[in-house]
Amino acid sequence: MVKIGMGQLLVEGGEPERNFERAEAMVADARAAQCEIVLLPECFDLGWTHPSCLSEAQPIPGCYSDRLCDMGQKHGIHICAGLTEQRGDAVFNTAILVDDTGDILLKYSKINILDVAFPMYGIGDSLSVVVTKFGKVGVNICSDNYGDALDIGFVLGRMGAKLLLTPSSWTVDYSVTESENPYAKKWAEPYTMLATSFDMAVVSATAVGTILGGPYEGKKMVGCSLAVNRDGIIATGPYNEFAGELVVADVELSNTGFRGTQVGERLAARGLLAGTLSQ
Amino acid sequence: MNEERACSKCLMDSSVPRIHFDKDGVCSYCHFHNALDAEYQLGPETDARLERIYDRARAQGRNKSFDCIVGVSGGRDSTFLLWHLKKVAGLRCLPVFFNDGFGNPVAGENMKKATRALGLPMRTISADWRESKDLKIACLKASIPDLNLATDIGLGNALYGAAASEGVRTIFIGQSFRTEGIAPLEWNYLDGRYLKAIHDQFGSNPLRPWKSTDPGFHMSWQHILYYAAVRRIHIETPLYYINYVRSEADKLLKKEMDWVNTGAHYYDDLYQALLTRVLRVKFGIDRRKFNYSALIRSGQLSREEGRRQIMQPYIIEDDKVIDLCIKRLGISREDFETFMAAEPKTFWDYPNLLNVIRKFSPVVRVLAALQLIPLSSYMKYCRQDV
Repeated sequence: MVKIGMGQLLVEGGEPERNFERAEAMVADARAAQCEIVLLPECFDLGWTHPSCLSEAQPIPGCYSDRLCDMGQKHGIHICAGLTEQRGDAVFNTAILVDDTGDILLKYSKINILDVAFPMYGIGDSLSVVVTKFGKVGVNICSDNYGDALDIGFVLGRMGAKLLLTPSSWTVDYSVTESENPYAKKWAEPYTMLATSFDMAVVSATAVGTILGGPYEGKKMVGCSLAVNRDGIIATGPYNEFAGELVVADVELSNTGFRGTQVGERLAARGLLAGTLSQ
Repeated sequence: MNEERACSKCLMDSSVPRIHFDKDGVCSYCHFHNALDAEYQLGPETDARLERIYDRARAQGRNKSFDCIVGVSGGRDSTFLLWHLKKVAGLRCLPVFFNDGFGNPVAGENMKKATRALGLPMRTISADWRESKDLKIACLKASIPDLNLATDIGLGNALYGAAASEGVRTIFIGQSFRTEGIAPLEWNYLDGRYLKAIHDQFGSNPLRPWKSTDPGFHMSWQHILYYAAVRRIHIETPLYYINYVRSEADKLLKKEMDWVNTGAHYYDDLYQALLTRVLRVKFGIDRRKFNYSALIRSGQLSREEGRRQIMQPYIIEDDKVIDLCIKRLGISREDFETFMAAEPKTFWDYPNLLNVIRKFSPVVRVLAALQLIPLSSYMKYCRQDV
């Protein structure tokens, strides 16, 4: 059993200092709650698709990832978080997994970039998993888990990931309120598909706050983070658009050992074919 | 002219337009306060009046999900009001927050903690940020002191819209003349016609159309009439009726719901940092004068302490937060300095409804008597001497 803090962070676009201050407080809270891993949202430094990403993105390793490494070491906790990465002339929507000694274990750049974000982010070009003390962990980001992009999660599952961490920035229209269920099955369905196909826990932490610039200006992020395993939903974050929340999930990781061609046989036996799900 | 004259009782002075002083040197705002204080004299009679308001809310809430809508911001006044309505009055409250994109995260945490501690749901009505931003920039371009005009109207509309959605007829707001005071008209004027004129002249994007449950930033007299007369929605100010003491409220809120002071009155809204800077530098307006004067009149602050505090820089004028506001609006520092340098104007320079409101002041008085609008609104807008 791994205690995971789903850090549903308030993210203010273009305000990295303020966002990092809140992130550090949340990491400390997660440690105080005995969490071994804390997950923070996608591009939490500058805000997802905030125009400042084109001028203020930092390399990884770089000052922002260093701060996360320092937090991991200081608080003795693994941190998975989304950052805006400057790499060469391009900017990437990247996530890193930092261990409790402050080392970066894994770096991943988002592949399933929304077309409105093409002017901002390049397409990631690799997928990987890493062996940790909790088991094999994979990382992908937000819309990588759209129903029509499940091949990304499937590859991580085939690589043996038993825990998929997915920093996110789910958005809704400004007019949505607490009286509605903003996502219904939008995320639960693909997460469940991944979880049941690979006995893999899928855990997201999505941001909270108004989108203050860029192509999604006028929308907002309202939390509702989600953790799913093969048995179904194990934790959800509350709806909120103005205040963050740490949601602690006890996640049991499977130790089933099917691999290689056994995966295809298992999927076929269950009637599941990768890559053909509608969103 | 009342050149360089200060009130003998409070901190208001001749920098306030149309202020006048009696033979004892007491200002017209003190008399305004006294009139409200007499109308809402604390005691058993006023307690009974407030109880009748609560009874009416309960009766009107029958077969509805809620008895009342409560405007909340995470600041002291609205959080205390929410606590009072739930814990003391026992009403079924729906707290409603208007999110214009500038909410102070400290206040956001306060709202989360308060609703959780009180076991209440929450309703957040968000502005379309594109409209909200456009209107804020339009107000800067218009060179008026009412830089939060759109937010003030959006907030009122959010409360009316939520009430209309839920079929609720009672809206409670945390205003208190005893602790907040009444802003002079030229320092804070609120009127939908005025906002429309500013938007028509300086706005860049069209506003989405009005709907009764989603009024956005539209507030014509027809809209107010619709909510007040057709839907019979009324706005109440319970803090007028009770002995609301800020220092005691602070203690209670910290104890009951781990409430955190944002650092200054109005600072539940980050935009107040920029607004306060513009008011002080460009317009020579210091809102602490009417805020602290109210506390002095109600015995919650000494005049000497108020004078001492007013000489200090206001904590709300945080340069970092002012920079945040400028950046968030998507304007440059040069744009902002241009706005600062423009000739100051007031609502009198733009089309507005004040003369119409004053022409129909007997009707407004009746609306106030029927408790469909706060009495203080009648006094502020219809009394020529204020």
